[in-house]
Amino acid sequence: MLSQQLINGLISSAAICLVALGFALVYRVTGLFHIAHGALYVAGMYVTYACISIAGLALGFAIMVGVGITIALGLVFEIGVSRPLRRKKSSILVIFVASLGFYVVLQNVISLLFGNGTRSIRTWSIREGWEILGAHITPVQVIIIASAITLSIAVMIFQRWTKMGQGMRAVASDPELASISGLNVNNIILLTFVLGSALAGIAGIVVSLDADMTPTMGMRALLMGVVAVIVGGRNSIPGVALGALILGMTQHLGTWQISAKWQDAIVFVILLIFLLFRPQGFFGKKMRTVHV
Amino acid sequence: MTYLLHLFILVGIYAILSMSLNLISGYTGLLSIAHAGFYGIGAYVAALMALHAHTNFLLNIACGIVAAGLLSLVVAVPSLRLRGDYFVIATFAFQIIAFSIMNNWVSVTAGPFGLPGIPRPEILGFTFVTHIHFLVLVGAFAVLALFFLNRIVHSPYGRVLRAIREDEVFTQSLGKNVTYFKISVFVTGAAIASIGGALYAHYITFIDPTSFTINESIFILAIVIIGGSGNLVGSIVGALVLVMVPEFFRFIGMPSAIAANMRQIFYGGLLVLFMMFMPEGFLGEYTFKKGER
Repeated sequence: MLSQQLINGLISSAAICLVALGFALVYRVTGLFHIAHGALYVAGMYVTYACISIAGLALGFAIMVGVGITIALGLVFEIGVSRPLRRKKSSILVIFVASLGFYVVLQNVISLLFGNGTRSIRTWSIREGWEILGAHITPVQVIIIASAITLSIAVMIFQRWTKMGQGMRAVASDPELASISGLNVNNIILLTFVLGSALAGIAGIVVSLDADMTPTMGMRALLMGVVAVIVGGRNSIPGVALGALILGMTQHLGTWQISAKWQDAIVFVILLIFLLFRPQGFFGKKMRTVHV
Repeated sequence: MTYLLHLFILVGIYAILSMSLNLISGYTGLLSIAHAGFYGIGAYVAALMALHAHTNFLLNIACGIVAAGLLSLVVAVPSLRLRGDYFVIATFAFQIIAFSIMNNWVSVTAGPFGLPGIPRPEILGFTFVTHIHFLVLVGAFAVLALFFLNRIVHSPYGRVLRAIREDEVFTQSLGKNVTYFKISVFVTGAAIASIGGALYAHYITFIDPTSFTINESIFILAIVIIGGSGNLVGSIVGALVLVMVPEFFRFIGMPSAIAANMRQIFYGGLLVLFMMFMPEGFLGEYTFKKGER
């Protein structure tokens, strides 16, 4: 029983980590609390679903289309909305409200096209999976965990050792200084949105291989990701992964003791504890905002 | 005709909600996306009191105010001490979890099935039954809220709120306890929103969690922003426009399921357009220019 809870906790942690990665990337580089990330997450699933069930494409190809469309939608937001606003020197709050509006539009377009009921990508029958220490895990769930680990490491390597990744960190710490140093800030932010949206799409698609989808599920998934980012510390990828692990595990070990309906409330309690005692997160450094 | 009255009652309820959010977001510059949560708390407290304890309507409103006020402290106290985006994150979390609890705590809230049969309100022996009665009742509360909020924003307290919005550090340097002002204004706004919830519950006589989603929060924020941030009359105009105009979709014969989505696409799109071309809204004085990272 305990081992099953641990495995389930690990699967949830992986799902949370996938959403958190893309969100953390955009959040860190642009400072934008990108609510529409939750809609991109859902868009990826539904495009993939449509490719398989309506167009009859193979799963692998459908996933590529799904991620491609998600990136395109992310770019529509960056090029059509966020970049013009940055050019007008609008504050980040304005871009945040625009992201809220974008979320509402995208989610409702999906609802309009597919209805509010549940859909499933799965065309194969559910297998019992492998047994490890008395707990069951299906191949799809192994894929979720594996992709969370792989993508976390990939993003970390990218940010640390590639030129573009270092550029992102430069823009994150000071866009003006980065621009003076000859970096093309707009291109770097564009790339950030491409990567962030791709991660949102992949996260959604991988999760939807295992569970049913609804158009409104993005917000709850995003919340889990956001809390993981706060818990781990927003500037550190290992922090985000650890945050996701803490969150997923507490949720599942919590429901072992308390009823499952309080699963989300536990997340809120974790957020409050961190806001009260360690708002910079596990791996974050204490920072003082300096206003000039 | 009844339908038109129904729409005006909704305008009244949304005016209460958006004026109270305007105090928080428009006057003080704190963007909250938890307002539908407090709206829902007001509605559920009133409904549960009326259904199980058969208490009077006014007492239900009072209990809703206390409940929303106390729960708003849970959001405000940890997050408003900190700088930056923590407040937005806390309100986002509160909104999602408030919905999740309404939806999952089936033994109390009946979850997705909702609570039917909420009695009509009664004040001093008079029962409000018809649409006209309700319009008068909701209108009276909206005027009361307008009067109360107007007093707040034109008081010295209200001036401090605007000062915080324009420059928080400077306001602090004048010896104002900025955290106290921000927490108290959030609690006040949340408490007033709960009144809207109680009115809604007693008017529709049925509530379920789908009325209190994050999209509803964004809708209320859209009213504030499009009507004009930092202008109470703007919120009333905004409520009128955003409740009435989407009815056009129904009017031209769209099925109601599609019309509901079209309504949301309409205000979501408006929100993006207003941010790009007219961030101060129709009658506003504030454009969210304070850039905090």
